[in-house]
Amino acid sequence: MKNIFKFTEHPRFENPSLIVGWDEDSGKLSPKVIEYLNKKIKFKSFCEIEPAGFFSLAGVAIENDIARFPENKFYYSQRNDLVIFKGSEPQIEQYGFLNAIADFAQSYCKIKDLYTISGTISPIAHTNPRRISAVYNQEAIRQKLRGYGLHDLSWEGPPAINSYLLWVAKNKGIPGASLWPQIPFYLAASEDLHAVKLVLSFLDKKFDLELDFGELNEKIRDQNITIDRLREEDSEINKYIGMLESELSLSEDEQMKLTIKVNEALENKD
Amino acid sequence: MGIKFYKEPELKNTIMFCGWPGIGNIGISAIESLRAVLKAQEFGEIEPWDFFNPRKVTIEKGLLKDLEFPYSKFYYQRIRNKDLIFFIGQEQPSEGRIRYAEGKKAYNIANLVLDVAEKFDCKRVYTSGAAVTQIHHTAKPRVWAVPNRHSLIEEIKKYENTILMSEIEGRSSSQGTITGLNGLLLGVARKRGLEAICLMGEIPYYLQGAPWPYPKGSKSVLEVLAKILNVKFDLSQLDELSKTVEKNIEEFLETLYTAEAIPPQVRDEIEKLRYAGPTEPGPITKEEQNEMMKHLDELFREGGWQDEKHF
Repeated sequence: MKNIFKFTEHPRFENPSLIVGWDEDSGKLSPKVIEYLNKKIKFKSFCEIEPAGFFSLAGVAIENDIARFPENKFYYSQRNDLVIFKGSEPQIEQYGFLNAIADFAQSYCKIKDLYTISGTISPIAHTNPRRISAVYNQEAIRQKLRGYGLHDLSWEGPPAINSYLLWVAKNKGIPGASLWPQIPFYLAASEDLHAVKLVLSFLDKKFDLELDFGELNEKIRDQNITIDRLREEDSEINKYIGMLESELSLSEDEQMKLTIKVNEALENKD
Repeated sequence: MGIKFYKEPELKNTIMFCGWPGIGNIGISAIESLRAVLKAQEFGEIEPWDFFNPRKVTIEKGLLKDLEFPYSKFYYQRIRNKDLIFFIGQEQPSEGRIRYAEGKKAYNIANLVLDVAEKFDCKRVYTSGAAVTQIHHTAKPRVWAVPNRHSLIEEIKKYENTILMSEIEGRSSSQGTITGLNGLLLGVARKRGLEAICLMGEIPYYLQGAPWPYPKGSKSVLEVLAKILNVKFDLSQLDELSKTVEKNIEEFLETLYTAEAIPPQVRDEIEKLRYAGPTEPGPITKEEQNEMMKHLDELFREGGWQDEKHF
């Protein structure tokens, strides 16, 4: 397996925690969380997983006029208690890929636990109080995270990649938790900065990161102002968001209209 | 990548029967029915994670309890001094978006299945699948048989309601392709010097993309297997299911005709098949067949699955 890892540095770790995020996520949650952490704590990549064998590599995808290529990197900072992995979900050999992450994290980084981040699309308003649901792969880590305001999730159905990773970690004896903050459905295709802050606040508290949220707070305020303005201009949109605030459900048509209008407003603002 | 055995039965001169999902689930239904009727006992399985992605996660009050993968299990039974092994695979391993197995994973799983065959003194392997052909859904499907060595041809000629590729009407040669693991296993068995035969129940080509099973095809295969093993089965359940499916197909087509969802010439072409005998070569042309498939495939795709929420 050694040849799938390409090192640029060989940092040393002392039982860090691993935070895992993926390129694609609802409300751009995990890429934004990791981008914020990388910027504020100055994380630096030190190793990457070669894409061959995990991605079709039959060309490149183009998104927003830019050619994309799968990137799977581990990051570290001067703080030696945290390692970050940010990657693209593998198209093939999922088990081999997740096993490689867990093996590397365990044998090279000597991690003590891992945390995954993913948004879950929900029928809520952006103004509603949000919560983070959580899944744990051991009772001990569930107990350890009591007091962080996480809600226990119950679910039976198709697994997301983070549950698969949690299962792989469980089989290796690595304690792990998946964090699933709610994302209002109409922000799923754009950015949900409120959810980003929610996750960062959890990580800040858990790892004493002393994050400065000033920049993020400003962006959240801007986003809220844009949506408030849309509500003032468009009574239908105001009604839909009002219904969600009152925990009333919208029809498929109404959901579609709300999503299109909010996304247009946020795009025009940018 | 490995096999987990729960027990290691002592078997001699074993016959192995393999079933995977495929068109109309003809093969897997036939093999699974045989396994169930003979009450074969599970004794091992192929570890799934190198071949399949998980299908289901169970999370209870925050705790990840279980991740469920498609299974690939082995069963055994002894009847009248014949030792039998059944292999039932819940999915064919695929790479990317290919529906049926091909490539490295398929080759690896075929080898693992045959490792078990050889470990338990297997002399003969049967696989089963579907033969897509110009047959009407009211007709009794025949069974196409493909062996992996010439010496088996005389034996196959004695099977009832069974034909070799060279005997199929309208074919200019005895050539063709068996896609997926049913075919691959014949090849890998040949490489290992094991006798193998693939038995394929006929299915109307206009139903090959349909999301429902085709039990009539499975029944035809099962009848051949019963003769091979010299046992008698009660096939009344399969008969009932066949009748129900046939009725549903009739109703489905009638709804399409009434709603004019498919052009009148497609209806005429399907009806032409209703009155064509099995020995009549090509009651409709290849062009007519392609034209029909264009319409029917679209219809089967409509109302397909939607992306589900997942955790």
